[in-house]
Amino acid sequence: MVIFDNLPLYLEAFLQTLALLLLTIVLALPLGAVIAAMRISPIGSLRATATVYTEILRNTPLVLVFIFCFVVLPILGVILPFMFSAVLALTLYTAPFFAEAIRSGINGVPVGQAEAARSIGMTFGQTVTLVVLPQAIRSVIPPIINVMIALTKNTSIAGGFFIFELFNSGRRLVNENGDQVILVLVGVAAFYLLITIPLGQLADFLERRVVIRR
Amino acid sequence: MKLRKILIGTAAAAVAVALTACGAPGSATSGGSTSTSAAGAGPYDLAVAESPTFEAGTTMAKLAEAGTMKIGTKFDQPLFGLRGLDGKPVGFDAAIGSLVASKLGIPFDKIEWTETVSANREPFLQSGQVDAVIATYTINDKRKQVVDFAGPYFVAGQSILVLEGNTEITKPEDLAGKAVCSVEGSTPASNIVEKYGAVLQPTDVYSKCLDPLKNGQVVAMTTDNVILSGFVDQNPGVFKLVGDTFTQEPYGIGLTKDDTAMRTFVNETLQAAYDDGTWARLFEQTAGTVIPVPTPPTIDQY
Amino acid sequence: MDAPGTPLVVLDHVNKHYGDLHVLNDINLTIAKGEVVVVIGPSGSGKSTLCRAINRLETIDDGTISIDGQPLPSEGAALAKLRANVGMVFQSFNLFAHKTILQNVTLGPIAVSKKSKAEADGRAMELLERVGVANQAKKMPAQLSGGQQQRVAIARALAMQPSVMLFDEPTSALDPEMINEVLDVMVGLAKEGMTMIVVTHEMGFARRAADRVVFMADGRIVEDTTPAEFFDHPKSERAKDFLSKILTH
Repeated sequence: MVIFDNLPLYLEAFLQTLALLLLTIVLALPLGAVIAAMRISPIGSLRATATVYTEILRNTPLVLVFIFCFVVLPILGVILPFMFSAVLALTLYTAPFFAEAIRSGINGVPVGQAEAARSIGMTFGQTVTLVVLPQAIRSVIPPIINVMIALTKNTSIAGGFFIFELFNSGRRLVNENGDQVILVLVGVAAFYLLITIPLGQLADFLERRVVIRR
Repeated sequence: MKLRKILIGTAAAAVAVALTACGAPGSATSGGSTSTSAAGAGPYDLAVAESPTFEAGTTMAKLAEAGTMKIGTKFDQPLFGLRGLDGKPVGFDAAIGSLVASKLGIPFDKIEWTETVSANREPFLQSGQVDAVIATYTINDKRKQVVDFAGPYFVAGQSILVLEGNTEITKPEDLAGKAVCSVEGSTPASNIVEKYGAVLQPTDVYSKCLDPLKNGQVVAMTTDNVILSGFVDQNPGVFKLVGDTFTQEPYGIGLTKDDTAMRTFVNETLQAAYDDGTWARLFEQTAGTVIPVPTPPTIDQY
Repeated sequence: MDAPGTPLVVLDHVNKHYGDLHVLNDINLTIAKGEVVVVIGPSGSGKSTLCRAINRLETIDDGTISIDGQPLPSEGAALAKLRANVGMVFQSFNLFAHKTILQNVTLGPIAVSKKSKAEADGRAMELLERVGVANQAKKMPAQLSGGQQQRVAIARALAMQPSVMLFDEPTSALDPEMINEVLDVMVGLAKEGMTMIVVTHEMGFARRAADRVVFMADGRIVEDTTPAEFFDHPKSERAKDFLSKILTH
């Protein structure tokens, strides 16, 4: 069967997709947290910068962000390795989604918690990291995982930009196996599910573990 | 769940196609169409056969009766199938589609064009969503197991495009271990990886390869010579083709499996166009603006 | 240590608007070291805003507020440092919901004052002992009664060793039977010489523990006098009217 015959190729592509996903999460999640913090910060210029960034990136098609990183940056003289550019594009695009997920969780924490933290002399950073974020975590986990699942699928855009990821393995195998097109695509879908289903379960697990007794 | 439904649906469609195909075995003789020669001046206004007659029950008879047919082609392939602003594709594939349709009494504007890419050519033919696929579609044995091919109507060959000043790359063997750009899911892309050990930098349309090639992020791009020629032509003094073609890519017309009557009809149509010069004229007016007109290939009557 | 009587908190021509509402109208107020000042007034009089402005949980439009001779910094580390010196107790307790009682009290000393955990724990247990909830140290805030939570909140503020304590209606959210346990702690603090600004409706506390009563109405300070004088001989009509309403019950 075509899926098992081509397991090494699928696996090679799967690992690329996984690498795109993990590298982007590692970069975009902290960036998203910073953006979320900027959006609730007491300093107006930080709030404005974060808001403009979020609105622009969140409302731009991902393909345009890729074109920016792969076409516009080289024109400006910034030529990066393909993998670097792909992770950059995915990070720039995904960070605002993480930021919004985190911000919605932060907004769910009563304002008195932050006031109490500030009143005992905590800086803004301490207030966010020691008091607000730990309480926001639980309500933030499900939307964050949703963003990750969307990101998993979004990595396929990199397939049009010189990265041999899962979607490309499907295109190659379809071309070579015109007699088993549907099976090839089932294989591709199965590998995506291999990422997204455990992510959903991780969400359930974390949600159960990080219970806050109120 | 959704996936399963699609699978079942596709299987059912495939079975239906197989059943209808069995209904017309041995009806090998093509219908005697009224003899016409291409009379229009352009590639898409060929003289249409007037009420051609075909043996009852054949695909040709059904299409002639319907007065329309569905053809799958590429919408993003310069010189062969590139969709214009009016929604109709232009190029040599579109002209060949026009040729076949005209013999069925169907004018160009009655053809329903459907975009076919590598992932849907076979499924579309198997389920009857298109009557033919004319889409720089290379004939090979695996595909022959699920669809029939008429033709070939053109033989392309894989070639290599590099920067004008490049002297290191002279043959495909020189690409081993080097970064080469091509469209994933195309036969030349697989070939350069599997036969020559290049490191493929895959993309989805050929034009995207040009910037990385100019920036030195890849040393070459590869695909069929006809496509590469188009890029050389569009960027004078920037790129050049290297060496001879090193594969044979016979482009065929994909048809429903085991519809022998239809395949014979299309083959005869092509042969007639080779013989009376129509084929050469159509090529000259489309891909011929960039590529010299070749001699017609030999039809594969398997 | 300055001697009692030195000005500690000084508000000078402080104004604040919420849109058209002039919520703080030219407030001038000086609180001396060791003084206990009770701020009373009808709802909407600006007394809570006044209290929150002193540690800049509310900004002001103009005027100056200074603490220990230092004007309030606008933001950043300097403001945080000043806030550590000004304890605050809220109407709704605002204990950190994800921390145990003990951690609620030690978080400030560890994170802000950079005390060792052992030192912070020891000091926290002393404070919890003093407010009478040491036996609850390992519990989460939600497991405590309102009165217990408010006492923990006082301990949390005291752990920063502030030079002044602000109380913003500390008993308003409590069931009646729990009010006294909180007031008792506050009276104890007052007796030890803590400088306190208390926004409250508890007239008994004002009589028992306050050095001064500040009566506010419509964003202004209407009376500023001793408890005895205020309760027995109010001068303004607003104060008389207010007292008649709350004392008839």
